Amino acid sequence: MTAPGCDRIALADLTDYAAGELSATEAAAIEEHLFSCSQCASRAAEFDALVRAIPPAVRTTEVGGFVTDDVLNRMAREGVHVRQFVLSPGAVVPCAVWEDDEVMALRLRANFGGAGEVTMSQRVAGNEVLRSTGHVNASSPGEMIYTLSAAWVRQLPVVNVEVVLTAREDGEDRTLGSYTLVHEGSLQR
Amino acid sequence: MHVTIDSVSDEVLARRIAGGPAGSTDAEESELYRRFAPRVRLYGRRHLRSDAGADDLAQEVLLLTIERLRAGEVQKLDQIGSFILGTSRMMCHSERRVARRREALAARFADTSDAIAPPSLSALDAPRVAACLRALAERERLVVLLTYYADREAPRIAEELNLSPGAVRVIRHRAIARLRDCVMGGRS
Repeated sequence: MTAPGCDRIALADLTDYAAGELSATEAAAIEEHLFSCSQCASRAAEFDALVRAIPPAVRTTEVGGFVTDDVLNRMAREGVHVRQFVLSPGAVVPCAVWEDDEVMALRLRANFGGAGEVTMSQRVAGNEVLRSTGHVNASSPGEMIYTLSAAWVRQLPVVNVEVVLTAREDGEDRTLGSYTLVHEGSLQR
Repeated sequence: MHVTIDSVSDEVLARRIAGGPAGSTDAEESELYRRFAPRVRLYGRRHLRSDAGADDLAQEVLLLTIERLRAGEVQKLDQIGSFILGTSRMMCHSERRVARRREALAARFADTSDAIAPPSLSALDAPRVAACLRALAERERLVVLLTYYADREAPRIAEELNLSPGAVRVIRHRAIARLRDCVMGGRS
């Protein structure tokens, strides 16, 4: 029943519940309480609003970061224009970003060895503009996918974008691969 | 003292809908929807693994509830929440989800579906949530995206990220708490 200030169902419980982490018995207990307690229901409404806001936020194409094919596939299903570049170490490739592209996906290939964590550095005209540390995924052991907003890339001047992947080993950074995107401005069809 | 509709109990709402002629209880029906749709949607998200399916379920369950109230078929009005949960369970497992209901509900609740977010999150907008997602650590963001955008289940996420299921769970807890704090606090 509703009790003033009831906090029986916390945010972590709702997170587990919605993610399907709970047993059928545990889930049923949460459901029974939620449908009879307005205090916990308002917490559930807040959580519901938060997770419902995630897909529209991703569709703004402003989120970026390391992703997997599962995320790219959902973007594709939603009609997001993703321009993909498959880059092997040492690659120098023209960076063709069209006016209707929304997301750039860099498939950075390398021999990651036993590295679990990899740091990506992006330099534009010699200046580091982005540094991010991601994790090597089991589903794609020789590749990491990094996404960028195509709008951000389009506003760059004609310039080379250098991407370097490193892994920390024995206290030192080991370069896994360097890649060069030759940005020649936004392209129009 | 004037009592606003949002301060009456669930039971009073149910009694008014059950007792009023059709067309005279629009405010009560909207309030019932506002209160229970998020819970039914959450139930649908858990059991149907689909945002769209959860939205449909919430509309169908609340329409049926209102119909049953009007028909005098809900026996325990003081337990309307239990009735709605039972209806959610029944409809979630039913294959007979009629398009007619969906269309009727889309029209019926067209004016209220945008107003069900709690006031604390009413300012949720996509650019702000995107900024807060960007502010998460890479692994936190990826777990959130795989769970709530790519609709991947926990074992698959754990396998893909080379993590134990327990670690994914802890990361998800932390990420959602940070995302909520960022969105609600305006910090990114």
